[in-house]
Parts: sequence; C-alpha cells; structure tokens
Amino acid sequence: MIRIGIPRALLYYQYYPMWKTFFQELGAEVVLSSPTTQTMLSSGASRVVADTCLPVKVFCGHVLSLVKECDYIFIPAIRSVQRRVYNCAKFLGLPDMTKAVIPESPPILDIDIDVNKGKRVLYQAIYKLGRHFTWDPLKVRRASIAAWQAHLNYRELMSSHSLTPPQAIEKMLGSSEVEPKTHSSHSTSTQGTIAIIGHPYLLYDEHINHRLIHRLEQAGNKVLTPEMLTTEELESAIVKLVGRAYWTYEEEVVGAGGHYLESRIGGVIGIMAFGCGPDSLMMDVVRRQAARLNTTPFMSLTLEEHTAEAGVVTRLEAFLDMIYRRKRKQVEVCV
Amino acid sequence: MKTYLGIDVGSVTTKFAVLDENNELVTNIYLPTQGKPIEMVQQGLKQIKQQLSNGADICGVATTGSARYLAGVIVGADLVKNEITSQAVAALQYIPQVQTVIEIGGQDSKIIIIRDGIVTDFGMNTVCAAGTGSFLDHQALRLNMNIEELSRRALDSQTPVRIAGRCTVFAESDMVHKQQMGHRTEDILYGLCQALVRNYLNNVGMGKDIQPPIVFQGGVAFNQAIVKALREELNNEIIVPPHHEVMGAIGAALLVHEEMVNSQNGSKFKGFEVSEIKYHTSSFECKACPNLCEIAQLSINGQVLAQWGGRCDLWERSQSR
Repeated sequence: MIRIGIPRALLYYQYYPMWKTFFQELGAEVVLSSPTTQTMLSSGASRVVADTCLPVKVFCGHVLSLVKECDYIFIPAIRSVQRRVYNCAKFLGLPDMTKAVIPESPPILDIDIDVNKGKRVLYQAIYKLGRHFTWDPLKVRRASIAAWQAHLNYRELMSSHSLTPPQAIEKMLGSSEVEPKTHSSHSTSTQGTIAIIGHPYLLYDEHINHRLIHRLEQAGNKVLTPEMLTTEELESAIVKLVGRAYWTYEEEVVGAGGHYLESRIGGVIGIMAFGCGPDSLMMDVVRRQAARLNTTPFMSLTLEEHTAEAGVVTRLEAFLDMIYRRKRKQVEVCV
Repeated sequence: MKTYLGIDVGSVTTKFAVLDENNELVTNIYLPTQGKPIEMVQQGLKQIKQQLSNGADICGVATTGSARYLAGVIVGADLVKNEITSQAVAALQYIPQVQTVIEIGGQDSKIIIIRDGIVTDFGMNTVCAAGTGSFLDHQALRLNMNIEELSRRALDSQTPVRIAGRCTVFAESDMVHKQQMGHRTEDILYGLCQALVRNYLNNVGMGKDIQPPIVFQGGVAFNQAIVKALREELNNEIIVPPHHEVMGAIGAALLVHEEMVNSQNGSKFKGFEVSEIKYHTSSFECKACPNLCEIAQLSINGQVLAQWGGRCDLWERSQSR
C-alpha cells in the first residue's frame, strides 16, 4: 500500500479529514506526523532561510520527521479558495520551497488549488493528483466527492457542537489521530468566556503557543475559537469591517475577531506569528475595532520560536485579571 | 500591628514593601538582584525583620515580578501576582484619577491604561530590552560614569543630538559617531534619553491611548533626564510618586491585604526563619518526550520543594500544594 505522509502543520487543521478521506478512498495509507516537538522546530528552523515565519519552520520540521516514514509527502499549493482572494506567498510556493530546502524528502505530491481559474482547471488538478493511484477517472471522482463530504461534516461538527479542530478530528477519525489530552479536570465554575482568534496552526499547536487553551481553561474560562462560528457569521463580520476579504483565511482573524468583539464575552485574544505580513495587517483591523467599540477587552500575542513561556503567562494572567477586576467593579456599581 | 508584605523580584532589583492595616507604608527595601534571587529574598527578609518593631505581625505575603513563583515558594506566599496588576493597583492607591501608568524597570517596560479605576489596556516590551534601564546602564558604563552622573549631566544639555534608539547596537554606534564629530557629552547623553523615550513610546506605547494624569513608576523614574524627555515628548505633566521604585511590591501587598480580608484564612508565610535556610537549586533535562524540557528544581536538604520549567504538568505537582 502506498503511504502518504501528511505534516501536522499549517493547513492540516483546516483540511485533514478531507485529505485523509481522499487518499484512503484511492487505496492509500495516510501517515500523519506527531504533534510538534522542540526537536522538530529546531530541525525545521535550521533548514529554511532566516526570514521565514515560525509556522513554515514548524512545517519543515514535520516534513523532516516524515522523511523515512512514507513514500510520498502531500503538500498542496493553495493559491486561492475564493474568487479574487489571495493567499500568502509562502503557501503558494510551499511544495517548491520544501523541495528546495529538504532535498532528501520523498517525492512530493502537489496540487494547485486556484478557484480563480474556474472549475474545469480545479477538476483537472484533482484528477492529476488522483492519477498517482488510479487511471480510472470515475474512481477519482468518487474519492473527491467523499472527501468534500468529509470536509463539510468536519465544518458542521465544529460549528454546531462548538468543537476545536483537534476535538473534531478526534471525534471523526478516532482518538489515535490526536495527542492524548492530559487535562480532563475542567473547572466546574466558569470564570468567563474568552475567544481566541487567529490561524488554526497557531491556536492548536500547543508547542508553539505554550498550551494557551489549556492555560485559559485551567483558569476556569470557557474558550471560543473561530471554527465554532458559521460561515455566515464570519462573512457578515468581514463585510462589516473590511467590506470584502483580501486574504485567504481572513475570516479566522478579521471575521472571528469582529464577531466575538460584539458578542458580549469576557475578552478576545488575537494570536499571530512574528514576521507574518498578512497577520499584522489583519490583526490591526481587529485592534482598531476593539478600540472603537471599547466594550470588550482585546489583547494580541505574537509568537516566535524565542517567545518565552514567562512572557505568555504574564500577559495572560494580566489580561484575565483585567477582565475579572472589571467585572467585579461593574457588579459593585450595580449593587 | 497587622502588616502585609509585598515582594517584587525583578531581573535587576528586588523590592520589598510592608504596609499596615490602613495601607500606609511601614518600611521598604530596594536591593540589587545580582542574579541571585533566592539570596536577595532572604537578605531582604532579614533586613525587614530588623526594621519592624516587635509588635508587627505579618498577616499576608504576596510575590510579584519575573521570579514571583520562585519567591512565592521560598516565603510561602498567600498570593502570586503578575507585575501588571500589581503596578496598576499601586498607582491607583496613590493617584486615584490616574489614566496612564508608565513603568520602566531594569529589563522590561510596561504601559497600563486605566479608565475609571479599572485597567482597560496594557502593553509590555517583547524580547528586546532597548528602552529599559539596562540600556542606560550599559551606556553609562561605556562612558565610564555612574547612572546618577548620567542623569545629572544629561539635564545640562543645551542642544540634544539625535541618537537612533531602536536598538542598543545602533544607538551605541551612533553615540560613538557623535562623540567623534565633537558633540558635547551632555548633548549626547540627553539625546540618548530622548531616544529611549521615543523607543518606549513607539514600541510599548504603540496604539495606546495615553491620557493624563500620567504616572511614571519603576527604577528608571529616578532619572530626571528621562522624566524631562517624557514630559517633552508627551507634552504633559509626568507624576513620579514618592515610592516609585517599589510600586510593584506595594501593589502586591495591597492585593494580598484585600485577599486575606476576603478569604479570612491564616497566612501561609513561613516566617523570617526562611532567611537562614540553605536552599539548593539544580536542573535536569526531562527525557519523557522529545521536547527535552529543562526542569529546574528547588530543594532543602535533598527534599524537593518545587519543580518547574516543563511544557506539561509532569513535574509541576509541588506548585499546587
């Protein structure tokens, strides 16, 4: 059986159930890299050029960990998933960049996803990818329909059951796919509700964000994430704030940020990667909106490989204190 | 007399403040940390014991600052609080109408925005320490003068020169260049102070709504040249409270006072005897997973008191005790 390696990084969090279904339908075995470790991050960082962002360094670390484990590595080049919406250059060139910096990598299966070029080109691209496994176009068609259905189920599961991507993947594909959760001790009393916004590869990679969600939950908070919102909710917030999205995945930052800032919750925390151009522009839109509304506390955290745990912890503690003390004051005023 | 002790263990200095039941400052101590946080906490406790009258009873202890967890384990803290909350609470105690708190310490700097007595926004410097006390210290050392002299001479400047303050490395080469061009030392020094203030406002203060009254706290507030540069840059009065250098410790003491009154529990303070105990620190690499975390541990006579530094909860059991 052909083994297809999928790095647990970048777009994995958005599309893993879809990719896995597609390859399994075509009779391949999917090998997933394990959760990010310091070793992966260091090995990835040692390969790329200096100004590469943290998520791409993590991605290369995952690819390196798969080198001897599979026959092919699947790295799509996602140019655009919506008309006239653009993706970061690092996503466009991901397969080529990986080939250049990891020459020992098994052959890379890539696919160009660009909806600007129309459906026909997209279908041709999918067929071209499927041809690695079968010459039967009908079989590829069936696999892609099943994959798309898996994707829709995945999205639905997250928005209707308020699940994070790791939780939804565990529910759909069984527990072996996600790292075991050590913390089952959810605090009974909910101190507040905190929304975290940003790209899933930052929000759910516990290594690079220093277990942010875990820390918030330990402090007794309910945590909301962008995936728990419906596409309509995300889009209407984007329309309100910037008119129309320019960047692919803008809904994870501007859409979710705009929505949560107006939904009467304790606070919103924006997570971004140091050196990410699109993030710095999008997060600023959210920051300005937070200042304009002046109702919901907002804080942004920038992650890079030198981010010390102490820095994250101190900021989180101060942010939560700010929310609790504000709440207490409001209660006092009411009484 | 019931008293409350706040300990602020920063990267450069360690501060202690004792408040009485009316939140009046009884005594305070300001020591250099010198990279020895445990010894300095012990030394500070020893000095406090000497300064306090016999009737004084410590009814609550809180720690803050970058070594707050370590110090908390050593003294048996009732409360471990982050620096931002502590600084804000202390500022509100002295200047209740405060809207902006500027705090510049040895290695980090903060801005806290307060409206109607509650914190609404804050910012902290990131990995870069340009724009903090160490930056000035370093330059003073290079010019072979102490920091008091730097402050005094900078105030004599007539026409300050422009120094690039974005990075200590650039600032230094800029200063050398200006020296070699024949500018007066005083003008270069004040230019340096202005650079620090600009750097602070552009980094930490970026996007923050700075409104008066503005309170300036932290060790760097001793430096009159920086106060002047801030006043000129912000075009507003800068209030330096009387005990600006120990505000973090005062805030911690205020918070633990409030906490102890609310909880009605007895203090977990281990007593002044901890200054005599020999603590032993060590570290090891955890091999439980590929992350290879560096675990630091604190022990007395081979008995482990606390362990931390891991990315998971495997070793941090003792902290919750």
